[in-house]
Amino acid sequence: MSTVTPARTDDRTSADDEVRGAWRVVAEREVTTRVREKSYVYSALFMVVGVVATVVLTSILGGRPTDYTVAVTDQASAAIVSSASDVVNRSDDGSTAEPREFTSTAAAEEAVRDGDVDAALVATGTGYEVVGDEEVDSTLSAALTAVGTSEALQANAERLGVDLDELQAGSTVSERLLDPAESDAGARQLAAYVFLILFYITAITFGMSIAQSVVQEKESRVVEILAAAVPIRAMLWGKIAGNTLLAFAQILLLAVAGIGALALTGETGLLSSLGPAVGMYVVFFVLGFVALAGLWAVAGSLASRQEDLQSTTMPGQVLLFAPYIIAFSAGAGVKTVVSMLPIMSAMLMPSRMAEGGVPVWQIVVAVVVNVVGAVLIVRLAARLYERTLMRTERKIGFGEALRLSE
Amino acid sequence: MCDARPAPSVDGMLDISSLSRSYDGTVVVDDVTFRVVPGRMTGFVGANGAGKTTTMRMILGVLAPSAGQVLWNGSPITTGQRRRFGYMPEERGLYPRMRITDQLVFLARLHGIDRAEADGRARELLDHFDLADRADDVLDTLSLGNQQRVQIAASLIHRPDALVLDEPFSGLDPVAVDAMASLLAKEAGDKPLLFSSHQLDLVERLCDDLVILSKGRVVAAGSVEELRGTGADRYRITLDGPGSDAAWIRGLRGIEVRDVDGGTALVDLAGTTASDLLAQVVAREPVAEFSRVRQPLSAIFREVNR
Repeated sequence: MSTVTPARTDDRTSADDEVRGAWRVVAEREVTTRVREKSYVYSALFMVVGVVATVVLTSILGGRPTDYTVAVTDQASAAIVSSASDVVNRSDDGSTAEPREFTSTAAAEEAVRDGDVDAALVATGTGYEVVGDEEVDSTLSAALTAVGTSEALQANAERLGVDLDELQAGSTVSERLLDPAESDAGARQLAAYVFLILFYITAITFGMSIAQSVVQEKESRVVEILAAAVPIRAMLWGKIAGNTLLAFAQILLLAVAGIGALALTGETGLLSSLGPAVGMYVVFFVLGFVALAGLWAVAGSLASRQEDLQSTTMPGQVLLFAPYIIAFSAGAGVKTVVSMLPIMSAMLMPSRMAEGGVPVWQIVVAVVVNVVGAVLIVRLAARLYERTLMRTERKIGFGEALRLSE
Repeated sequence: MCDARPAPSVDGMLDISSLSRSYDGTVVVDDVTFRVVPGRMTGFVGANGAGKTTTMRMILGVLAPSAGQVLWNGSPITTGQRRRFGYMPEERGLYPRMRITDQLVFLARLHGIDRAEADGRARELLDHFDLADRADDVLDTLSLGNQQRVQIAASLIHRPDALVLDEPFSGLDPVAVDAMASLLAKEAGDKPLLFSSHQLDLVERLCDDLVILSKGRVVAAGSVEELRGTGADRYRITLDGPGSDAAWIRGLRGIEVRDVDGGTALVDLAGTTASDLLAQVVAREPVAEFSRVRQPLSAIFREVNR
């Protein structure tokens, strides 16, 4: 085992001064090289379009007011539909129901079958029937049933000389939500998954970009000139800083695009409940990315060719993929614990926050653990990086790198 | 030997002091000591695997020595001082997909030069190599010879205080070698310049000083003149007249006969002087040629590598 290490222990303080100036130059090169690549610009644009499309589609499919048309054959039915319009409006903001007269039940059914109307309200011997094609929208059906029932009760009560209010006394069953925000649980769950996926894609993209940039310097042997010019740590800081900045910019762009899309589609309720989660998402992303950035750089310095990256980036990929699996499959307990571990918390905590109901102490613990974890991981990574960067002859394993002496 | 010389007061003295390096218990560089005097081109020669590259990497601090140190003006060198060295590694390398001006400026800035100055310097060097019209081209679109020129430019971009170049002339045609040599002489000026090469004729032509490494140890060091002086005073004597036989020269005193071939003898002086020897020979037979044989470096090299 040969031991190749830079001889830079002689004068730490002056070396630290060098690090300060040089890492910026390295970071600048990382950023300018990347933004000049077409693939970078296109992937960023693609993700922005994806986020906006998701928000808009959700809004269209989920919360958009509907104007129902109901086929009727007589005046009484038409009156019921008109009254039901108010009920529909109350349960689904902005929606309406409108009667359309047909000459016969058969004609009304035909209209339902053709999809010209959403349903038909037909009088039967015992009352009314709501006729749908394959199904009847539950909001509409509930409104028609409620109005139909109460109209009939009203008529019967009058005919029998009974006071309807007295008859109905004590029969009211109403609903009270303990956590009204849960009403948009579906949208919040979707937002949580979007967070996860965007984090995963962005972290992988820029993580791999760090590893590739390192191995490219090894492959092209320019690393020896760089190592003679600046302390090796300065190169590591520069790469971490440059790529974190790029990844942060991308995440910020996506967050702004998402918030903008929510505001434009009028999803203000969802916006105000998701806002803090989005903010924390950006914070957690940066912390998690920095911690992981050290690992990506080491993955690059262990490799001697691009092909080696497949195996040397494995630990980083697993750390990113694990939270993904956990988010979808693990129980609440496991999820809670993992959402406070470094790196993985960066993905899980914001998505838990999007779903709602995370105690503040858990968020604080996750942030603190992540900061400490990031510092420790980057320091370890710096040592591994220094020991392995100049070994261009072959691939080195993580274990071997840990055993290498200074 | 160089370290026997008195230390001049010139700024920029580079001393390599007892550097050693071993890999897996195998000693690759063994107690190497020599001096690179500012203003003099110092050639670093040795067979493959003699330890030249390892020594140069230790000088630059890219590799930690197992023992010994590098001195700059008599004190242990600092990282900041090393940063102002120019280095061309044996394994060439720059960013293949980066524009050549961009990478020269990038390297200059890593060495602490500001962008505007780096820009001007890059243009100046590219001009010198007739690469001005390729300034915005990506490196790997250049021919290998031109890539080599950019590599040299990269080692000069920050106006280094000292130059350490590993095989700077390998892969260059004779015209390019001359252009490169004149540029290096100009750039090095009164600064120390150490370069390794296996092209002995080139080293002989260009160098003022020479360090010969064999199996990790310095086997000879000094000025080229001094080193040639270490070879014996050797003379070639050719007798005049057809069918003459120089064998009788073996009988003369004060010389050692190296070789006799018909009328020609190759002798080393061993106690007598050149004129005495000539007088003795002429006294017996006419002489067609009497000349001093200058040892070429290759002979010295072979000798010390034996």
